[in-house]
Amino acid sequence: MLIFATSDKGGTGRSVTSSNILYRSALQGSDVCYLDFDFGSPTAGAIFNIAAVAHGTTRGGLHEYLDGALAEPQRIEVWAESDRASLRERPPGAGRLVLLPGDAGGGEFPATREHVERCADLFLRLEEEFDLSLVDLSAGRSWATQMVLAATAMPKLRSVRCRWLVFHRWTRQHVLAASGLVYGPRGILDIGTRAGHDYDELLNSLRFVRTAVVDPDSPELEGLKPAQVAWLRECNQDLLELASVSRVGRTMLIGSVPLDPVLQWREQLISDNDVHARKIANLETVEAFSLLAKLIVDDSAWEML
Amino acid sequence: MLTLGEVHTGLLQNSTALSLDHTTQLLDLLVGQRVRRSERPIAYAVSPDQLTGVDCRLPTASGRVTRGVGTVVSHAAVTGGHVVQGSTYTRLDRAASNRRLIWSHYLSRPGRVETIGKVDFSDVAQGFLSPAPQPQTLNLGAVSARLMDVVQSSPRLDRRPPFRTKRTRLRWAIRPAPDATAEPRGTFRVESDTLRTLELTAPHDDVSALVELCEDLALHDWLLTTLLSLMEFSLTGPGTRAQKIDRLRPAIDCLLHLWMPAARLDESVLPVWRDLEHRPGFTRQWQTSVTRIRDQVTLSTIALLEAPAR
Ligand SMILES: Nc1ncnc2c1ncn2[C@@H]1O[C@H](COP(=O)(O)OP(=O)(O)O)[C@@H](O)[C@H]1O
Ligand SMILES: [Mg+2]
Repeated sequence: MLIFATSDKGGTGRSVTSSNILYRSALQGSDVCYLDFDFGSPTAGAIFNIAAVAHGTTRGGLHEYLDGALAEPQRIEVWAESDRASLRERPPGAGRLVLLPGDAGGGEFPATREHVERCADLFLRLEEEFDLSLVDLSAGRSWATQMVLAATAMPKLRSVRCRWLVFHRWTRQHVLAASGLVYGPRGILDIGTRAGHDYDELLNSLRFVRTAVVDPDSPELEGLKPAQVAWLRECNQDLLELASVSRVGRTMLIGSVPLDPVLQWREQLISDNDVHARKIANLETVEAFSLLAKLIVDDSAWEML
Repeated sequence: MLTLGEVHTGLLQNSTALSLDHTTQLLDLLVGQRVRRSERPIAYAVSPDQLTGVDCRLPTASGRVTRGVGTVVSHAAVTGGHVVQGSTYTRLDRAASNRRLIWSHYLSRPGRVETIGKVDFSDVAQGFLSPAPQPQTLNLGAVSARLMDVVQSSPRLDRRPPFRTKRTRLRWAIRPAPDATAEPRGTFRVESDTLRTLELTAPHDDVSALVELCEDLALHDWLLTTLLSLMEFSLTGPGTRAQKIDRLRPAIDCLLHLWMPAARLDESVLPVWRDLEHRPGFTRQWQTSVTRIRDQVTLSTIALLEAPAR
């Protein structure tokens, strides 16, 4: 299965959230890989703690592969090559966790027919090997998004299952932007149908993920004054309504990730150790990632709306 | 003289074993040329040979620049309706002339690449077998991988494979034996989890028998690699014995009956297999794994039989 991670804006938490979801899938036993298609700012290396590719690789990554300069993009086995000790051991029963980094100094490029072909071939090869391939796209209406929409519309990918996750923060601006990215002009549905996708099918394979959400009922807000809590509740209510009329509401939602103190400070994977032994990250955050890892492959979460 | 090749092996992207007739249609890649097939000892079909023109640098261990021009041969094969291979090879010879000739010259020598300028064949062999990638040099693996892609993306396949697994690559080189009557000898190396190399010294009179040897070896190495990784995943993961057996089911259903080393090979290349059976001992490793799986299945059956009695 191919999962495309997108967002209208940068800084939404798309890369950090999707990396953590994928990490949880691997821990749950799936063989997974992460493709850094955010060609302008490849950051996946930093999140997986692989210093050599922290800002993209210099040894032939996805950008160079798609450009036709290499036969195979570089791959990094995270369990073997991460610089973080707690990631360097594959837990029993865990699946493979592989990173395909972007290139340092890559930048966007116009997607030609050849790019689309090579992109489709890559997806098919990864499908042979991995239960899940997650493609982290660049923010907004990018060439990368057009390319993958064109590639997945090709007849040879017809029987490959594809799902889309649209990440956004829980604010007015982000709700509207995420809605525009999906439903607006030159949005995913618009470009997708022009590339040959069926509108309803594409819409049904797409869900929203809310990131860094502050729950007004959270016990952590106990220190706030009653007026502040009341105000937060009101904002939240307004947002729920806005989301619903913008078609970003409950029926299109697959999960929410709470605001986490660790992620606020650093882009990283949250290990069980960070929660249970070091007690620096919240259990709710990891539970949200684990649940999302289950839901993205659970057909009942993707039933026709 | 030097012959180089690379075989890629993977799981055919279909939910069930493809019948020999369907396999034949799948591999019918060139109009007007026949797919070769055989039923025994195991269903096997191979596509017609395809030629790819090359004009590029040759890999070298020393970094010396050597140019090669000519054609490489490749074909795709399917064994047992489950395992697909892409295989590409070419023979390198010194050109008589020091410049590139017209294409018809090279086309009349299919599967040959002529080297232009100074060349040290053992340097090229070392460079080719080296696991470090040498960008912008002769890449036979890329041709094999593309050919496999063509087969794997055929609409004749349902793309619902019984399990997911890696392709493996066997990169091989044959140097002529100093003594034309000597038996062929090979050194097999596991370079990474997906790359293996085989260095052969052999008389060069029957290259196709040697190519088949490499393909057979690649097939069995893939079977063993895949079985071991399925076992590791199934047996070390969480769950009851029944759940573990369940995870092993695809291996039991589609891999166990495919082990038939050297079944189709020419007599002349058997000494290489014999050496490899001695060390690393492919069949011994395979048998150990199969026994372990059978034991698990037996234990799980016993547990099932005993369950209602309690
Ligand atoms: N649940 C969260 N709680 C707090 N901060 C978060 C959370 N998720 C992501 N972040 C932070 O938000 C910032 C942007 O995240 P990133 O994944 O790089 O965004 P994007 O890929 O959308 O540009 C990072 O500093 C990240 O650590
Ligand atoms: Mg990012």
